[in-house]
Amino acid sequence: MQRKIRLLAIFLMVFKFGNSQTIDSLWFVKNYDKREEKITMRDGVKLFASIYTPKDHSEKHPILMKRSPYSAAPYGAGSYWDFWNYYLKEYLKEGYIMVIEDVRGRWMSEGEFVNVRPLNPNKGPKDIDESTDSYDTIDWLIKNVEGNNGKVGVFGISYPGFYSTMAAASNHPALKAVSPQAPVTNWFIGDDFHHNGAFFIMDAFDFYSEMGSGFGTPHPEPTSAPLISKGYADHDNYKFYLETGPLSNFSNLLGYPVGFWNDLYSHPTYDAFWKARDARNATKNLKPAMLWVGGEFDAEDNWGAWNSYLAAEKNNPGKSFNKLVMGPWYHEQWLNNDGTHLGNVQFGSNTSDWYQQNVEVPFFNYYLKGKGDASKIAEATIFMTGANEWKQYSQWPPAGKQDKKIYLQPKGKLSWDKTTVGNSFTEYISDPSKPVPYTEDVHFNRSREYMTDDQRFAGRRPDVLEFKTEILNEDVTVTGNIMANISTSISTTDADFVVKLIDVFPDSLSFNMVDIYSDKDPVIKYPMGGYEMLVHGEIFRGKFRNSYETPQPFVPNKLDHVNFKLGDVAHTFKKGHRIMVQIQSSWFPLVDRNPQKFTDIYHAKESDFQKSTIRIYHDKVNESSLTLPILK
Amino acid sequence: MRRVLLFIVILFSVSPLFSQNADSTWFVNNYSKIERSIPMRDGIKLFTSIYFPKDQAEKHPILMTRTPYSCAPYGENNYTSIWNRFQMAFAKEYYIFVTQDVRGRYMSEGEFVDVRPFIKNKKPGDIDEATDTYDAIEWLIKNVPGNNGNVGVYGTSYPGFYSTEAALSNHPALKAVSPQAPVTDWFIGDDFHHKGAFFQMDGFSFYPTFGKPHPKPTTNYGSGFQTKIKDNYEFYLQQGAIKNLDRIIGDSIKFWHELYKHPNYDSWWKERNARVGLYHVKPAMLWVGGLFDAEDLWGAWNTFKATDKQSPETNNRIVMGPWNHGRWGANDASFLGNVRFGSNTSAWYQQHIIIPFFDYYLMNKGDITNISKATIFETGTNEWKNYDQWPPKNVSYKDLYLDPHHELSFASNNATAKNTFDEYISDPEHPVPYTADVHEHRTIEYMSDDQRFASRRPDVLTYQTNLLTDDISLAGPVVADLMTSISNTDADFVVKLIDVFPDDFVYDKQMKGNNKDYPMGGYQMLVRAEIMRGKFRNSFETPAPFVPNKKTEVKYELPDVSHTFKKGHRIMIQIQSTWFPLVDRNPQQFINIYTANNSDYKKESIKIYHDSKIILPIIK
Repeated sequence: MQRKIRLLAIFLMVFKFGNSQTIDSLWFVKNYDKREEKITMRDGVKLFASIYTPKDHSEKHPILMKRSPYSAAPYGAGSYWDFWNYYLKEYLKEGYIMVIEDVRGRWMSEGEFVNVRPLNPNKGPKDIDESTDSYDTIDWLIKNVEGNNGKVGVFGISYPGFYSTMAAASNHPALKAVSPQAPVTNWFIGDDFHHNGAFFIMDAFDFYSEMGSGFGTPHPEPTSAPLISKGYADHDNYKFYLETGPLSNFSNLLGYPVGFWNDLYSHPTYDAFWKARDARNATKNLKPAMLWVGGEFDAEDNWGAWNSYLAAEKNNPGKSFNKLVMGPWYHEQWLNNDGTHLGNVQFGSNTSDWYQQNVEVPFFNYYLKGKGDASKIAEATIFMTGANEWKQYSQWPPAGKQDKKIYLQPKGKLSWDKTTVGNSFTEYISDPSKPVPYTEDVHFNRSREYMTDDQRFAGRRPDVLEFKTEILNEDVTVTGNIMANISTSISTTDADFVVKLIDVFPDSLSFNMVDIYSDKDPVIKYPMGGYEMLVHGEIFRGKFRNSYETPQPFVPNKLDHVNFKLGDVAHTFKKGHRIMVQIQSSWFPLVDRNPQKFTDIYHAKESDFQKSTIRIYHDKVNESSLTLPILK
Repeated sequence: MRRVLLFIVILFSVSPLFSQNADSTWFVNNYSKIERSIPMRDGIKLFTSIYFPKDQAEKHPILMTRTPYSCAPYGENNYTSIWNRFQMAFAKEYYIFVTQDVRGRYMSEGEFVDVRPFIKNKKPGDIDEATDTYDAIEWLIKNVPGNNGNVGVYGTSYPGFYSTEAALSNHPALKAVSPQAPVTDWFIGDDFHHKGAFFQMDGFSFYPTFGKPHPKPTTNYGSGFQTKIKDNYEFYLQQGAIKNLDRIIGDSIKFWHELYKHPNYDSWWKERNARVGLYHVKPAMLWVGGLFDAEDLWGAWNTFKATDKQSPETNNRIVMGPWNHGRWGANDASFLGNVRFGSNTSAWYQQHIIIPFFDYYLMNKGDITNISKATIFETGTNEWKNYDQWPPKNVSYKDLYLDPHHELSFASNNATAKNTFDEYISDPEHPVPYTADVHEHRTIEYMSDDQRFASRRPDVLTYQTNLLTDDISLAGPVVADLMTSISNTDADFVVKLIDVFPDDFVYDKQMKGNNKDYPMGGYQMLVRAEIMRGKFRNSFETPAPFVPNKKTEVKYELPDVSHTFKKGHRIMIQIQSTWFPLVDRNPQQFINIYTANNSDYKKESIKIYHDSKIILPIIK
């Protein structure tokens, strides 16, 4: 959900020029007008919108809108959003009317802001939610913006992805096409703040606090003043989050009261509060054409992209256009001009450019302008990492994938055969005062590439278990959701389980010459031989193993089972590589530390945190395995 | 002991001190080169390259390096590119430059013996490196045209060893010697072992090439062992027990196998301690070393100290700068890794110490009264300090106690400390890395690296003081006095002294650094670290097993430091039992490690009691 505008600026250096004309700021000012409007909603509250319209009135133009809690800035008649620095210039070329609206209660809009405002399924005439705000806005736009062709598209990434989902649910007849991208969908199960009930403290705290992005800044009245980030005195997030201690200590550091922060702390389980805030509730009876987009290495809303598509598919049987694109991207990378690599891992082509030119732009052109052919866009356009190819599938997961278990074995082995050994386990001590780092280096801001990072640093620790196959003698392609099936016993009453699926590159590979920090050192030489590429990792808070609603303690030292979904992947482990699984019980400071005691973690004290001895069983009776969706 | 020349050349190519074209032309026009095979007293001929000024109007001193790393380039028309190095300053003064292949290496005849023992009471016909130096000097002053009869010898690393041995020749023409990072004792502190613990990585990356047989003079030894695995942690872990390294290195590498036969500090090792000859040393001595030299830091400090003690009449000095191995010869030493020094420390040393030293003793030029007994760079304050003895007079040794809750304090803790401890499990399958990140080669900067990667591990104990309210300056050796109990019969102990920078620390942008934009706030700068193989705690000659779970003292000295912990910083101590793959893994049972099997390596539990202390040399 985080705002990445500053980050994006780095990528804007790489300009791409149109065929006949350079679409730049000069061109834009010459060819577009800007107006700012306050649009009245059904309950009288006024929402602020910036509207950019082509000066050309020789034909009618479609409207493409983003609704955002991150501001419709820059404000003022003479200030323009720099569409021309992105592929969005393709829309300018086509004469789209571009609209950015401040959502209710943010920035220049009136009213009360409610985080991930629940869709109200039984609305009275004056009841509002984000879908009615979208409806009212669309209605106003088509009636008041000169020269519009009566067709509206909505798109947005991250939190604006959530507003795109909600816009789709408005089902305004003029709304023809919606593309929720990395849509914030469920903040307890898989997006942003929690994965499987484990709290992603670093992203959450940084998002809301005055030291971080300042999103929690109170909004007593409409304002155009930029948020102020006070910054942190520390340079090392591991130290800052460890020394701050239990979650209760973070509330005092926010800098201002944040109602939603208190809500987070008051709802430690998957209760009605969270269920009302599941954006999949809004994926029923969808009229517009839907294009869901996400990043396979999106640290924030990877879950939302896969799962809102799947929910829409399930809730709208027979719907003609409900499609999915997943590329090898960090959060928002598909908006950027460079999609050739992420961290040390290279993709062999500019994947973001390919997506922009072949999927998104054709999608809106078809539905909003009747131009081109959207049928070329497959049901699921998925980038297969490892093979480094775009794949087009007629369903997701692809037809023909077969679930196959790969078993943990004694002595760190991993194989397709069930083990025949009796009574066998590997154990480690999980110590909350020395949690396993989520990435090796010292830094403050959560790195955007950690989801493809080399995991060798983790394998060197005594509290990370590692299981790997022999060298593969044929390609193994995994498409779909992976299940972790863990037989375990722990010496205390709760623990987290982090399972990481890793591609071990051949030893013979040389150094990477990729520029992984494109704004800094020109070349970082990284040893790729033996690289342990994180393909997908996920955490599970053990007490939720039977139910997210009703957590249950472990019985110390008693065998138990923790089975959970790791999430969807699309990756080929090439011949000559190995498949590796790592298991650990902390992932810090990405995720808060489990006290390893069955308790309300949001109100735990420092003294509640204790070491736990974790055993992972791998014998013929008590198996641990991953279920891999294999595509032959 | 590794060859530093290649490394220096790389540094020089970045910012040549002298304009290459003009100076190379000047050197070639003004110097002649000849190659001679100089006969030794036993008839063996040593190959020698001699560069002498064409101008014979006045007499010139001879500056010699004796090396096992070759006096290449060979051929009288091929000149070494001295114009890229600070030694060009000597050329401008018309020094005669001599490089000699030591006995049994490259183009020299005879048998090469690693760190050849010095023979105290020589019989006629006996040779050692001192006699070879004597014979070489004797020939040079009689045969090199235009020499002034004064000879200086210097060299870094293995050539540092040959410089020490040269000093022992006591040839009357030899006026000044500068052994730099001298290889001195390969069991106690340099290169192959520290306190009996085997530095397998440096050894194994050096010896497969260096140790090749030399049946006859040659200009080329060929290439060494290439590992397929480029991640050194993974490579050494996969090899398992170190006897497997002995297997893959091949039969021909004699010294390697010899090493494996001497697991303790026996007479074989004692003969190879270069300090044994440091008595009645006649030439002026200037020992040079790097405070962050991963190879021969120990040798630099301890040859100087031995000379002071054993040869009090010697004109004896030392310079220690904030350098990795050989860095003092480079054009720039403003920083090492992430740590910045605020000035170009190598250029300062070259201009103020080494050039004046040789100029004075070999040319009777200038004045060296302002070169003190000990010129030591103090990191932290980033200042050169001049001392008239080392360790300085005003040092007092103070105990720093490990306290419960991972604290450190100067206040003596109470009697209960005897019974409280911290504990970790040392697992040879998951040894503590010596540095973050994945590398093929041992990094040059690990001795000033950020130790945060280690603090985060459950098998590393971390203790730190409160924020310091005053600067604390250390000058001298650090002693670790650990009270421990272990669950098996042997263990290694690594004690690291660390400077914890303030959380908001940033370097002044004016200070030259590595441009990496590394987060320096909270940086845990390694100031000094040393390993001790536990079984040698009472004696390096006679190892003794631990009694499992019995409280035992392990007390040992870490090499000298010169560092100020600034106000607002913290002092940190880390304790761990592996340092991989820098050092081989201890099987954690009392055994001859060189013949141990993979199955001998055991996990064990290590307790460190709170009556352990670290003894710091504090300047009053």
